[in-house]
Amino acid sequence: MIMKRFAAALLLASGALFLASQTPIDLAAQDAKSDKAAMLKKFLERKAARAKAEADAEKAKAEAEKAKVETNKPTPEVVKMSPAETSAAKPMDAKAVAKFIDAQINQELAVAKLDSSSRSSDAEFIRRVSLDITGVIPTAERVGSFLASSDPNKRALLVDEMLQSPKYGQRLADIWTNQMLPMDSALRYTGKDPLVKYMVDTFNANKPWDRMAHEIISASGDQDKNGAVTYYMFNAGVDKMTDSVGKLFLGVQIQCAQCHNHPFTTWKQTEYWGMAQFFYNVSVTIQKNNKQVDIIPGVVENSRASRRGNPLPESAKTVPAKFLGGDLATLNSSKPYRPVLADWLCTAENPFFSKSMVNRVWAQYMGRGLVNPIDDLSDENPASHPELLKGLAKEFANGGFDLKNLVRAICLSDAYQRSSVPTPNNKADTVLYSHMAIKVLTPEQLFDSLAAVVGTPTADAGRGMGKPLNKGSNSPRDRFVAFFMGTENAKATDYEAGIPQALRLMNNQKLSSSSSLVSQLVQSKAKPAEAINKLYLTAVARKATEAEVEKLTGYIVQGESSDPKAPLSDILWALLNSSEFALNH
Amino acid sequence: MFSQTLQEKTRRDFLKLTSMGVFSASCTGWLNVLANAAATGATAGPSKVKSVVLLWQSGGPSHKDTWDLKPESKGAGEFKPIATSAPGIQISEHMPKIAKVMNHGAIIRGMSTGEGAHSRASYNMHTGFREGQGGLVYPSLGAHVSKELGKKDFPLPNYVTIGGRSYGAGFLGPKHQPLVISNPDRGVEDLKPVVSGGQFDKRMNLLEDMEKAFYHTYQADNINDHQTTYSRAVTMMQSKEVKAFDITNEPTALKDAYGSDTFGRGCLMARKLVEVGIPFIEVNIGGWDTHLDNFGRLKTTLLPKLDAGAATLITDLKEHGLLESTLVIVMGEFGRTPNINTRGALPGRDHYPRAWSLGMFGGGVKGGVVHGKTDKEGAVVEEGKTTTLDFMATVCKIMGIDYTKENETSTKRPIRIVEKGATPVAAVIA
Repeated sequence: MIMKRFAAALLLASGALFLASQTPIDLAAQDAKSDKAAMLKKFLERKAARAKAEADAEKAKAEAEKAKVETNKPTPEVVKMSPAETSAAKPMDAKAVAKFIDAQINQELAVAKLDSSSRSSDAEFIRRVSLDITGVIPTAERVGSFLASSDPNKRALLVDEMLQSPKYGQRLADIWTNQMLPMDSALRYTGKDPLVKYMVDTFNANKPWDRMAHEIISASGDQDKNGAVTYYMFNAGVDKMTDSVGKLFLGVQIQCAQCHNHPFTTWKQTEYWGMAQFFYNVSVTIQKNNKQVDIIPGVVENSRASRRGNPLPESAKTVPAKFLGGDLATLNSSKPYRPVLADWLCTAENPFFSKSMVNRVWAQYMGRGLVNPIDDLSDENPASHPELLKGLAKEFANGGFDLKNLVRAICLSDAYQRSSVPTPNNKADTVLYSHMAIKVLTPEQLFDSLAAVVGTPTADAGRGMGKPLNKGSNSPRDRFVAFFMGTENAKATDYEAGIPQALRLMNNQKLSSSSSLVSQLVQSKAKPAEAINKLYLTAVARKATEAEVEKLTGYIVQGESSDPKAPLSDILWALLNSSEFALNH
Repeated sequence: MFSQTLQEKTRRDFLKLTSMGVFSASCTGWLNVLANAAATGATAGPSKVKSVVLLWQSGGPSHKDTWDLKPESKGAGEFKPIATSAPGIQISEHMPKIAKVMNHGAIIRGMSTGEGAHSRASYNMHTGFREGQGGLVYPSLGAHVSKELGKKDFPLPNYVTIGGRSYGAGFLGPKHQPLVISNPDRGVEDLKPVVSGGQFDKRMNLLEDMEKAFYHTYQADNINDHQTTYSRAVTMMQSKEVKAFDITNEPTALKDAYGSDTFGRGCLMARKLVEVGIPFIEVNIGGWDTHLDNFGRLKTTLLPKLDAGAATLITDLKEHGLLESTLVIVMGEFGRTPNINTRGALPGRDHYPRAWSLGMFGGGVKGGVVHGKTDKEGAVVEEGKTTTLDFMATVCKIMGIDYTKENETSTKRPIRIVEKGATPVAAVIA
């Protein structure tokens, strides 16, 4: 079935070349199709190679089983996914899933004849996992105790420790609210914080994702009582809601189908309108100007909801409500519509829901989704590792949509723990996880990490940004994040900072002057080697190498006569402006 | 160290890798990584026009109350047309200063575009593409000019936007992102180091050693990007050209003529940036979305500001001998309805992309020309229909940029600077 679609896409691609006149959208579609045709061809080749590898592995497994009986040693084998459990959610076995991840990835690496890089060092690991799970670099003390520990289980224990931190929820809230709340100056009087609080608390409580998503999609009430309604306040408009819910929870880009049949997939306009029906009764109340101080912001469903400014054409309103790619829905006009959508969407059976979230979480940790862009899952945009995605999605769903456990499984895998240092053989790979991708610190991670080293900046940290975009978004952190915010569709590995950001980091008062960290070191009369290591442990989560210690000791000794704090401040300044600080390697 | 096989490597990445080890003498002897080795792109043929200043009227200015008055029409409104220094051309009575320099400019009255939503229309007018078209983020006109006309060893960014964020470089990459000046009175923020020059140099040397070692081990592209950005920032800090961003010492009378608001000051800064050789500057003037109180706002605030800033810029450029080599564009994302709405307490006009106007002055522009004509209501273009693509192609032609040239995206997809179907408006090109 899938083969037929690919063949059809290839035919379409070649057919399109003969059209006499082509509109820009045709050209773009044609380009995308030929790009995708090339990708599909590669995918098919790899699929064939993989099938062969699997067959070989099966043979090896059978032989190993025979040998096992004799020698009783553990044997290498391709780990097959267990059949679907019933929905009585038994917690997912994170260790087993980690093994499954590695088996799938290693298989593809073998097919592509790529080496995998070695395991990351402990220093690399603690910084990486700290940034990925809690959004901030680890403290010097924690790094020290982690490096010193000889517990063979220390990495797994560290992961669990990170998952308990309240910063876990903050990190996810940062990621999700950026996606959920578009920037829009019409929302000057609407605050984001109620949604942020809801997301932080709910992620930290590790509410099962199916229930959390259901809550968000169905959210109703006053904003100060149900922060989740903020999502709809920022996306007021049937088309905006449909587009956003499609992207965030289904991982499907249906917005193109709003005006015409989707150029790259099979979604027709009627599918779009069928989904849009679920949002038809949503009525949003927001404060529009500084005179409307008495209104109560919030969201309700109301069959007399205002349709003014609704960009959908009249004919769209007669399309019956229908689940995307599925059955017609029965809507009761006296009951809210969105829970009906959520009931279909937030389930293990839904073809998109689990995969979409798994892909997002995967991308957050691995620097790249199994499907890219991460919110564009479709037959025409296949995953780099389809069986892995399918298997993980099934495990996630059957294990009760436990997000922390999913993170655990990913972090326990060799693939996640692999070093980002490439080998000559695998350097060019950016798809098969032969080595870990180097991610750029997000503005939130950068702020929190700088603050961890030099202390939280004062109000002027974000000056020059003009009025804050939304009510309450005025803290130094908000302003810093707005100043460093990159483009919307940037990949985790894209470096987007420009000259103004570099100038800010180099010449900002607080980042340039002697911090209390340096003052303490000077006051305690720490020896150069000790001071240098303290700076390195604090800033880049590792001890300085011998060569670094030697060189920097010389630097300190040379410079400390004039101002004892200057050399250490210089070293710290350089560390904070380095790639090593700005990147999550 | 060069990419061998595998998908996502691109030609741009290849050039970045080869530029490792290139040591530029114009730098402080800082990092040995410079992205300027990347191709600067062929031009169609050098033009005498070296800079573009785009005065961007965010919100969509009413064409019937500015460039294309229809005193006999149903929704004529409150303003009257006045004569200008260009025989036969009349514009709004509330743009008297611009009227005096109309002989240096042309008006396109037949603009007709499809987008009536602010952000989509704005995106379209800046990039020539529809937002999200083909799943790409497109480069803005400024980024194209930066890439095509930016000089190789120039210490300043080639694309500056004043008073607003504007649109970025899309797939052309971080080198062509605009430098954003939020407040022209403050110039470039964080330009001066906190410590002494000598200490700053020592710090940079420490940083350079760290960067070398880190790249040697990890070898990723984004390390290169980080270094490039820092290198450019330091070069800029230490250049003499960066003084162009400082308007504090300009004569008071001149500052007054430009206007003391962000837009006026921004226009003054734009002149200085043209002087120092920056090829694309955008200056924002917002507030044109006059659904309500169209006439009050235009008369009291918007037009006086625009008039002072734009006309003084044109005159100032002329006095510095720069007008012949600078293209000044005055435009927004669409026009406004020929009919007046009476929804609110004060009359207004709503979005209208079907027929609208823009002005172009200075280098490469045939002065005293009107191209295109709307019907007596100012609602329908009767002659000289001009699309977004036509407009972009016109600007490119004036700047000596080959608008059919293709750039590659990160997945090697070739995208023309201006899509097929564009015809430059010969009538306004000198």
